[in-house]
Amino acid sequence: MLYLLSFLLSWLSGMLVILIIAFYAYDQFSVIDITSFAVMTFAGFLILFLVIYLIVLKTINKKISRPKQFIYFPLIFSLVANLPAYFLIWKNIGNYYGIGEATLFFLGFFTSGLVFGLFWAWKNKVIHVVKKT
Amino acid sequence: MKKLLVSNFLFLISFAIAAHPGIGIVKDSRGNIYYTDLKQVWKISLDESKTPVVAGVHTHELYIDENDNLYGEHLWYNGESKDTWGHYVWYLKNTGQLVKEIKPTEGFLTNYSFVRDSLGNMYWVERFTTTRIMKKSKSGEVTKLIEGKFGFIGWLTCAKNGFLYFTENNKLHRLSPDGKLETLVENSRSKSTDFTMMGRNYDSYGIWTDAADNIYLAMIDSKNVIRIANDGKTDTVIHTNSMWTICSGIFDNDGNLWVLENSAANEVRARKITRTELAGGKTVNSSAIQPHLLVTIITAASFILLFIAAKIILNKRKQRLHHFAI
Repeated sequence: MLYLLSFLLSWLSGMLVILIIAFYAYDQFSVIDITSFAVMTFAGFLILFLVIYLIVLKTINKKISRPKQFIYFPLIFSLVANLPAYFLIWKNIGNYYGIGEATLFFLGFFTSGLVFGLFWAWKNKVIHVVKKT
Repeated sequence: MKKLLVSNFLFLISFAIAAHPGIGIVKDSRGNIYYTDLKQVWKISLDESKTPVVAGVHTHELYIDENDNLYGEHLWYNGESKDTWGHYVWYLKNTGQLVKEIKPTEGFLTNYSFVRDSLGNMYWVERFTTTRIMKKSKSGEVTKLIEGKFGFIGWLTCAKNGFLYFTENNKLHRLSPDGKLETLVENSRSKSTDFTMMGRNYDSYGIWTDAADNIYLAMIDSKNVIRIANDGKTDTVIHTNSMWTICSGIFDNDGNLWVLENSAANEVRARKITRTELAGGKTVNSSAIQPHLLVTIITAASFILLFIAAKIILNKRKQRLHHFAI
């Protein structure tokens, strides 16, 4: 359940950042734009979540000590685990979208990674406090 | 495979907007408005009642002459096995009789246009490697007005003063009756995403003029209508939301603007924007819902709800762990 929630929370946060920035970046952000960003980030993030995030989470959960998790988890997920997504976004600039849309994708995935990392660090902290007591 | 998936996805989401919206909206000498919804031609009378006047015609453009005869075409596709197009040109006489001016012919309309000046001369664009703007006089003489390597030239319009206006990508040009070409606007493109643009490199669509010969451009991506004065000064006069897109327009005899709008589902309607609304320069929304704002609010609300749900689940786990610890 928590996995599903963390996935949805992370994806929604990325989408929210895209939607908010679009207010300032574009004159009009149409239904087509919203659908394009929503479907592409959802599909991309789902693949990333299943293929990379879960494995990375399992690995770093044991290796990084609790106090450091709030710093390292967001950093690892937003920067390292997202690297394949960043590479694909960069590679497809000019083919499927322009630099403006690519920047939004970067920011969306960055935020998703950040929120995912923070979520699991928070979860570990809550459970750890209980275990300690 | 990946390219195929992305292309299919883009095709699906663009399906609704991929069609080529019409720009045909004209008025007769009494002030009745006629417009095309690409299936038929409608008449909006002075009391604003709406009746179909020509049924079963797929025409993008309309023209009405000084005697109130209405002209349009019917364009159709003969299916994938033949892969050919056909057309005929009709006109509705002021007496109500519907006549075919050009008989059903294979291919697209050539050497004919619904863009005409007050003398009845026709103007059209030949879009090849070298683009030409052609003129056909009432006597049938065809002449080449200009020729050159242009970008994509959109719809043409001819003002009462005989000036021809057309867009080339995001530029607006004016061609004077003596053949002098001027660029009125260098870049009219608004900030839109590449998903909306769908491979197009232009934003402007229908062009029309008012009584003072100001030029109006329907910007289909930004959902704006911009007005360009004769000196090239530009201002946005209408801004609508995403549900309907203004593709063209015409001023009625009272100075109200009738806009021809296309929806994402390819529906067409004509809507009146009053003089007062227009003068106010306010946002003239065609619907109360602004999708971008609505989706942002829903996303934010969903995020908060999910966060609360996560907190509840974690608290339950915490309690369970406490229970086991005790």
